[in-house]
Amino acid sequence: MPQYKAMEHTALAQPFRRSAAAHALGQNIGLILVCILLIASILAYCGIYYAAQERLPGGFEITSTVNNTMPLVLAALAQTVVVLTRGLDLSVGGMMDLSNAIAAVTLSASLGSMVFWSVAILALGALLGLLNGVLVAIGRLQPILVTLATLSIFQGLAIRVLPQPGGAVPEAYTAALVSTKAPYALLYVIAFGVLWSAFRRTRLGVSILAVGNDAQAARAHGIDLIRTRIAAYTLSGMLAAAAGLFLAANATAGDATTGNGYTLSSIVAVVLGGVSLFGGRGSAIGAMLGAFVSSMIVNILFFSHIDPLYQAFYEGLFLVLAVVLAEAVGRLVRKAS
Amino acid sequence: MFARLFHSAEARRILYAYIAALALFIIGQIVRPGFLSPASVESVLLIASFVGLVAAGQTFVILIGGIDLSVPWVLNAAAILLATSSLGENARTAQALLITLGMGALVGLANGVGIAFLGVPAVVMTLAANGIMEGLTLGLSGGMTCESCASYAPPLVQALTHSKFLGIPSALWLWFAITLLVSIALSATRFGRHTYAIGTNARASFLAGVNVTATTVILYMLSGIFSALAGIMLVSFGGQAALGMGDPYLFQSIAAVVIGGVYILGGRGHYIGSVAGAICLVTLISVLLALNMPEYGRNIIYGVIILLLLLFYGREEEES
Amino acid sequence: MTAKTAIGDMPTPAVEASNVRKAFGGVVALDGANFSAASGEVHALVGENGAGKSTLIKIIGGRLHADAGEVRIAGRKVVLSGPDAAHRLGAWTVFQELTLLTWMTVAENLFLGHEIRNSLGLIARGKLFSKAEQVLADVGIFHIDPRALVEDISLAERQLIEIVRAITQNPQILLLDEPTSSLVERETVWLFEQIRRLCKNGTSVVFTSHRWNEIRTIADRITVFRNGKDVGTFTELGEEEAVTLMTGTRVDVFFPPLPQAPQSQPALSVRELSGPRIKSVSFDLYKGEVLGMGGLAGHGHREVFFSLFGAEPHSAERIEMSGKPVRIRNPRGAVRQRIALVPEDRKTEGLLLPLSVRNNLTLTILRQLSRFGLVRVGEERRLAQTLVERLKIRARDLFVAVGALSGGNQQKVLLGRWLLAASDVLLLYDVTRGVDVATKHEIYELVLGLAREGHGILFYSSDAEELAHLCHRVLVMREGRIAAVLSQPGITAEQIVAAAMREHATV
Repeated sequence: MPQYKAMEHTALAQPFRRSAAAHALGQNIGLILVCILLIASILAYCGIYYAAQERLPGGFEITSTVNNTMPLVLAALAQTVVVLTRGLDLSVGGMMDLSNAIAAVTLSASLGSMVFWSVAILALGALLGLLNGVLVAIGRLQPILVTLATLSIFQGLAIRVLPQPGGAVPEAYTAALVSTKAPYALLYVIAFGVLWSAFRRTRLGVSILAVGNDAQAARAHGIDLIRTRIAAYTLSGMLAAAAGLFLAANATAGDATTGNGYTLSSIVAVVLGGVSLFGGRGSAIGAMLGAFVSSMIVNILFFSHIDPLYQAFYEGLFLVLAVVLAEAVGRLVRKAS
Repeated sequence: MFARLFHSAEARRILYAYIAALALFIIGQIVRPGFLSPASVESVLLIASFVGLVAAGQTFVILIGGIDLSVPWVLNAAAILLATSSLGENARTAQALLITLGMGALVGLANGVGIAFLGVPAVVMTLAANGIMEGLTLGLSGGMTCESCASYAPPLVQALTHSKFLGIPSALWLWFAITLLVSIALSATRFGRHTYAIGTNARASFLAGVNVTATTVILYMLSGIFSALAGIMLVSFGGQAALGMGDPYLFQSIAAVVIGGVYILGGRGHYIGSVAGAICLVTLISVLLALNMPEYGRNIIYGVIILLLLLFYGREEEES
Repeated sequence: MTAKTAIGDMPTPAVEASNVRKAFGGVVALDGANFSAASGEVHALVGENGAGKSTLIKIIGGRLHADAGEVRIAGRKVVLSGPDAAHRLGAWTVFQELTLLTWMTVAENLFLGHEIRNSLGLIARGKLFSKAEQVLADVGIFHIDPRALVEDISLAERQLIEIVRAITQNPQILLLDEPTSSLVERETVWLFEQIRRLCKNGTSVVFTSHRWNEIRTIADRITVFRNGKDVGTFTELGEEEAVTLMTGTRVDVFFPPLPQAPQSQPALSVRELSGPRIKSVSFDLYKGEVLGMGGLAGHGHREVFFSLFGAEPHSAERIEMSGKPVRIRNPRGAVRQRIALVPEDRKTEGLLLPLSVRNNLTLTILRQLSRFGLVRVGEERRLAQTLVERLKIRARDLFVAVGALSGGNQQKVLLGRWLLAASDVLLLYDVTRGVDVATKHEIYELVLGLAREGHGILFYSSDAEELAHLCHRVLVMREGRIAAVLSQPGITAEQIVAAAMREHATV
């Protein structure tokens, strides 16, 4: 087979391999960027804090920052799963409201009640997420419209459950999720990081990325689009419900409206975390780090004596800047390589 | 010139929307006699006009496959800006109107530039703009604690919704005129043709020599202007501005557009449909209010109705 | 190759399709087609575009469901719910449109759906790469890095990966839909080696190609398709015979004669045009000339066309229209300079399918057609009507959606748009691809007619035969440069192909 040899030889003539590390670097540029952003924002925060308080932030500040970020971390995870399939979940905030409201009404101090209701709320979240998924995947409707409609429904349900802010979350519950003694909640973050790395290596994890990358190609590879999409939205609903639980634990009481802002914040965190809004690219770890960056930015604004009324302004501004910069950096890296 | 309107599925959807509006009025009359009285119909239509104005902008951007999520706080900012810049004085009305509409146009311009030139997805760009406007409005008004924040709309502006011409509220005349203008713009102008072309296929339109970026920017500017105009109408109607008054209008404007049969991915639909959608929606809300439905129930029902409509239209889509 | 003699002895074919029907909307793609392929044979499907070959392959590959008829694999009737169902039965397909996931690595793509797992049931990434390296080496591919993102490898490399994906599954049935369209000869030779190796092991290979040489080289049997039906299966078939069967008519003088020699003034002069994938391209296009452009896919033709139309970033020392220097920043600028572009993919880059014939025709001239922004509808209708008659566009009326027209009529609408815009220079990029023979002929006549009227036409085609017969001169591009300029009389397709390939072997 002479021609076959010819192919082999010309191929061998220029064997060009970049190292595994070089590939890893090029393929995880979003994650690297968010790490840099996080370090920079922590340094800036420490600097501003020092200027104001003449000492570095201590255990209390770290613990409260971590605890206050936890709902957003979960919301960002919920958003990531759906964004990776090239969707968008606007109902995250509504789901958090509902979960928060139910938690405030139902949780009592006994262990049994706390476990039962937590599980029940997560299951409800999954069920409502499933509803989103079915409408998107089987109903073949636009994710934005579906989740905008279910956002309205979830918010309505939340207000029905808890018309006025109130209820009480047992201290033990708060201690379990967001201990005020030390930033134990970081353990959850690490656990989610590990779980994501494993999930990314499962059939479903690969399918979610593949569907977001190119739905038709994924289908040709035997990936079930409907099942994958439904699974993603279900998972998202459950994670959003978990975010609502953290919100309740933080506030030690319920409020059926505090979750509203998390839809926007979760999208900000996801974008900061290097997850592509066009699907198929990104990591939940990045999104969690993005959540921390958002919260460091809020801290920085606070210590810069910027009126908290302006918070939404800066969030919006950072969102646009993050998207534009991420796009620009991505293009530069592509050109360089 | 309205040839596009008489084409098949599109026209059918618009017709359905008008039939639904009519049906809702009749249901209203059944659950609460007097619902069909001229005064009652007039007030429903007046409130529908606010939704309808926002929906005009929303129709424009949805026709090119975009969306404007910055409606709530552009509207709210406009209402506050009108009150604070006019201080309730007729003499300052003209300049206040100009400033307010200019603000709407400016936000729309920013949205358009972000989307068309910087490549930011419309959802993200307008969501961010909403946040930016929320922060600015809250911050600059000190959370509505500023001295001028309590100002009333000037009597001239209030007259927009409270005076009548030939027995019909001036605001409805205004809405009618805008409906006419928007319809002509969509059906009979180069701008309208370009809008539909971009919504159908932006790349092909670009390669046909259509100025896609400029058209996109103008469409988002129009959406900003219409949101601001709705804010003016609202402050005219209520007399004073308040925080959160824009919140319902995002959902309602999108709902009106969807009910009116505009295809959410762009390229198909007409403002005539969105008008019917707005009337439908507001009639429904009024019926629910007549039934003493609390807020949570209304939220749930809006959501359910949008989903049902989407499913209904989705099915029709596959058949044709 | 003993397959030919073995066929008669085979009691059950490896794959069999009988009386298969499939329609998309109102368009019938398969109309009672029959087909069967034996184990160990290479079976070529030939036919014109739209004859139903790809549809049949998609049905056997599990990607489409037949409306009627049945598919048997190894003698058993099967209902394929999806590609994975076909995979389980040993049927693997390399589809015409590539199905690799661009944001995943080559290795992940190779093993998508049957990943290597560790003891925890998770995908073992480290092993994935070494295994991928191994798999590629086994089939003689060393130049593709398994860790690279598919996004970053070339079209031909993607095609190779797609093929490797399928052949490493030890398929019982391998379906290849135009696998060679983006491959160079060396890679095609490699593919044929792989096909022969698989056949020896009893795989049944079904494959489509428009290149008769390839079919002659590799196929054991040939089935000809026409209008969604099989019209015959042969072990020996001459090209001319095949074309007759495919078109249903005898091919006589196919290409119209060239019009008279072009005028002496250039319509378009290009000097030192450079940009991504194009290097210092210079040429003159004379009024009344059809200037062909040929060469292998991916060597910069598309970039030249899109740059001249202002749709790609570029730099040029000088571009002149009828002797006047111009700068073209975007398509609007090009339209103003009376340059027209008919892109390769009329459905995604050319036409607005759901919009009416009228709206598609007049889109670029709305500025001239409107007063104070209002479109003068009467005038518009008159112009559109004239054009429909002139180009013999077969449409019910001016308001029917362009998407409802046949491919050839769609192409005419697109050409018509640029005629309305009174373009001096027409950039026609592969305008006859996917167009039926009769319409092809009409388009040739139209192009030459335009040249006769004094338009300058830059004509790219992936079909060298077409270039040889239709153009006054042919520029052959290779690696972003003009590698050869051929002039009539006496341009042959072989000359064009040779110029495109020269030096290629030594690089």
